[in-house]
Amino acid sequence: MLHIDSLTKVYRRGVRANDDISLDVDAGRVTGLLGHNGAGKTTLLHQVVGLVRPTSGRIRLLGRDPVADPAYARSACSFQPQSQAPLTGVTPRQAIEIVGRIRGGRRGAVRKRTAGLLAGLGIEEWADAPAERLSGGVRRLTAFCMAIVEPGRLVMLDEPTNDVDPVRRRLLWAQIRSLAAAGHAVVLVTHNIAEAERTIDRVVVLDHGRVVAAGSPADLAAGRDTGLEEVYIGLTGGNDSATLVP
Amino acid sequence: MRPWFRSYLLLVRWTALRLRFVLPLVLIVQVFLAVGIVIGFAYLIPGIDAATALYLATGAPTLGLITIGMVMAPQLIAQSKLEGTFDYNRTLPVPRTAVLAADLTTWLVTGAPGLLLGLLTAVLRFDLDLRISPLAVVAVLLVALTATTAGFALAYAAPPSATSLVTQTLVFVALLFSPINFPAERLPGWLQAVHRVLPFEYMAQAVRESLTSPAGGIAALPYAVLGAWCAGGLVITLRVMTRRR
Repeated sequence: MLHIDSLTKVYRRGVRANDDISLDVDAGRVTGLLGHNGAGKTTLLHQVVGLVRPTSGRIRLLGRDPVADPAYARSACSFQPQSQAPLTGVTPRQAIEIVGRIRGGRRGAVRKRTAGLLAGLGIEEWADAPAERLSGGVRRLTAFCMAIVEPGRLVMLDEPTNDVDPVRRRLLWAQIRSLAAAGHAVVLVTHNIAEAERTIDRVVVLDHGRVVAAGSPADLAAGRDTGLEEVYIGLTGGNDSATLVP
Repeated sequence: MRPWFRSYLLLVRWTALRLRFVLPLVLIVQVFLAVGIVIGFAYLIPGIDAATALYLATGAPTLGLITIGMVMAPQLIAQSKLEGTFDYNRTLPVPRTAVLAADLTTWLVTGAPGLLLGLLTAVLRFDLDLRISPLAVVAVLLVALTATTAGFALAYAAPPSATSLVTQTLVFVALLFSPINFPAERLPGWLQAVHRVLPFEYMAQAVRESLTSPAGGIAALPYAVLGAWCAGGLVITLRVMTRRR
């Protein structure tokens, strides 16, 4: 589905956000991208969706080059950005439905899918409330719905669980699993490692822009009687001294 | 064409939804401005002759279009950059030109009532007899497009804080130091020269002549200059919209 080969991104200020990254993402699987703040996770996603141009290396998305053809990347891939979605003046239902329609969905189908998602994530009671009155968690879940209401073959989610309460986080993980079950490839960035461990099929750990480990959560634990979080902390040295990049 | 048009219509709907509390306010402010120039400037200048009245009457709608395109539109775009709407829209599978066209449509529709009311007030206040040429539609559209694309280019290319400052300055310059409400001859020579490059004087001239159909005919130069400004604004805006970091 998505092949990334020796991808490097150096920003104009000289910050090396991605350094020779290679990885594969398969359809029907959930890939978790872990790493410190500033490890280069968001930069990686932004290059796939065409917001950032790679310095060198190759990206292939469904056999095509999203760098040369960013319009194709945007239709094949749906993306939940790390920043809060722009909801000023609209309700969650309006925002989700209109993005579903913009992404090519038919009116009736989008309406039904939106209602299903709002119910599935337990946020129906705020569905028609103006966004200004919503909590951070409900806004985040709305942004999540906007990304998956009419999902592309590749779904990329940048920290979807931030601000979300534990009960609804569980509902969110269930939605992510059902996306994969429907054949979509899911790439997600999260710091919520303990919870993600139960959902993701494959882990890629980034540190200072480089891939330091990749494999299934079980592979990474490699027989040790520890959770993924301990493995992660071991791999990245437990420090948070990474250079900050956007 | 069909997917483009579908995207365009949906984006117009989304923009209108997002701005539905702001646009009526913009509309009201713009009506006040257009009507206010006609009535307020008349207090400033005692004994208005026919020529002055004509400048005020046709300058008011021009200034209204400049305010909406070069001040209000860029300020709301600056805000959308701060809120993240700008970056979010860049991840949607829609043509950049459809995003731009949808924004332009919203602003043109918002600007229309102020334009008409300003003109109506002027006609009533000064007892004017306008001879409106069919070219007025072209002139108004071109002035609105030029003002809005210039405003967009500024808002997309500059940081939000700078946008706010520059737009405030622009409206000040347009109102007091541009030959919109008065003939260019009243300005010092160097400022006249500056206005031979800036679009303000041409905007005023295109609107004035198309509304009054002077005996000497309607000059083509303003249309050419405004067309060039408009094209420049579009190129810059589209470039910034598609730029990748």
